[in-house]
Amino acid sequence: MGEMEQLRKEADSLKDQITAARKAVQDSTLQEAAASITVVGRVQLKTRKTLRGHLAKIYAMHWSTDSKLCVSASQDGKLIVWDSITTNKVNAIPLKSSWVMTCAYAPSGNLVACGGLDNMCSIYNLKGKDGNVKVMRELAAHTGYLSCCRFLSDSEIITSSGDCTCVLWDIETGTQKTVFAGHQGDCMSLAVSPDFKFFISGACDFTAKLWDIREASCRQTFGGHESDINAIGFFPNGNAVITGSDDATCKLYDLRADQELITYQDSGIMCGVTSLAPSVSGRLLLAGYDDFNVNIWDALKAERVGVLAGHDNRVSCIGVSSDGMACCTGSWDSFLKIWN
Amino acid sequence: MSSKPHSSNNIAHARRTVQQLRIEASIERIKVSKASADIMNYCTEHARNDPLLMGIPASDNPFKDKKPCTIL
Repeated sequence: MGEMEQLRKEADSLKDQITAARKAVQDSTLQEAAASITVVGRVQLKTRKTLRGHLAKIYAMHWSTDSKLCVSASQDGKLIVWDSITTNKVNAIPLKSSWVMTCAYAPSGNLVACGGLDNMCSIYNLKGKDGNVKVMRELAAHTGYLSCCRFLSDSEIITSSGDCTCVLWDIETGTQKTVFAGHQGDCMSLAVSPDFKFFISGACDFTAKLWDIREASCRQTFGGHESDINAIGFFPNGNAVITGSDDATCKLYDLRADQELITYQDSGIMCGVTSLAPSVSGRLLLAGYDDFNVNIWDALKAERVGVLAGHDNRVSCIGVSSDGMACCTGSWDSFLKIWN
Repeated sequence: MSSKPHSSNNIAHARRTVQQLRIEASIERIKVSKASADIMNYCTEHARNDPLLMGIPASDNPFKDKKPCTIL
């Protein structure tokens, strides 16, 4: 037997082992465990603010940890930092490349980042001496578009790319510290664990992967989706992962049981999931879809308990503030809306 | 006849795949019943601090515009 044949056999055997090991701990289902609890009552959130100012499709938004400011990125070539309560624009940052696909706010509030079809992640300092917001670093090395970025601190950021890799960067030196390779398709989204030790990525190979940041390794791979995973997030306790896919479903995977616990789907929903965010207790899952709506799911019962209908085009991004007081949606209709 | 660089790439890729699968196969797994219970407990414990779930009284809602009162 050639080595190739041997390796193929071993791979198949290991995959069977993983399937069997997952089944071996499947003594119940989340559905059964949650059978005795009642579905949450209808959730009716209202639009409290509309953030107007972008002139083209909004592709991404991210809350600041202060739960007041947020940053949005639009293909009008601008990053706007908003005060979500007053609706004032705190900063309007012109970008070198208007083909932006992602943006992020550093936990400190000092920096924002963005990137897209320029294959780069640009870091901007909001707190520069003379009050002007300037490019601080351009992180270039990806050979594909930048789909997502998230700061670990003011000195480190993680990016995901259409080149199928994720990268941990040293912002100071502008260099790659670690390349996380393994996905067999474009990486579309990433999320960092609450303890900053792990991150998860969702890709066009229909899988989600859990990565150990310091060990620089992939710990687990989750399958089951039947199309690209566009959105990913951690359940607030850090022990589970939620994914949203072009297959019109969201899934909850538990990290310690190493398997899918439940799927959020409805025969009436036939369009892709673009974005998602859990509420702070994890009980509600808000997911944006291609049909211009956000569906609110009871995360434990997998039933739809509300809808946010207010945008005139695809909802491309969604985020719940750290204090849980508000949900922000961004759309191709060029507006952001704040709901609670 | 396969071209050398092509076949050695495939072998290297296959070796990496097997290596990765070995790592993923070897992890410890907890029972789904425990995983589910922990998730449910987290939701229950934090429910009262979840404004989107519990609703926000108008007076505590920084996003709600307070309408001025007119004294007639």
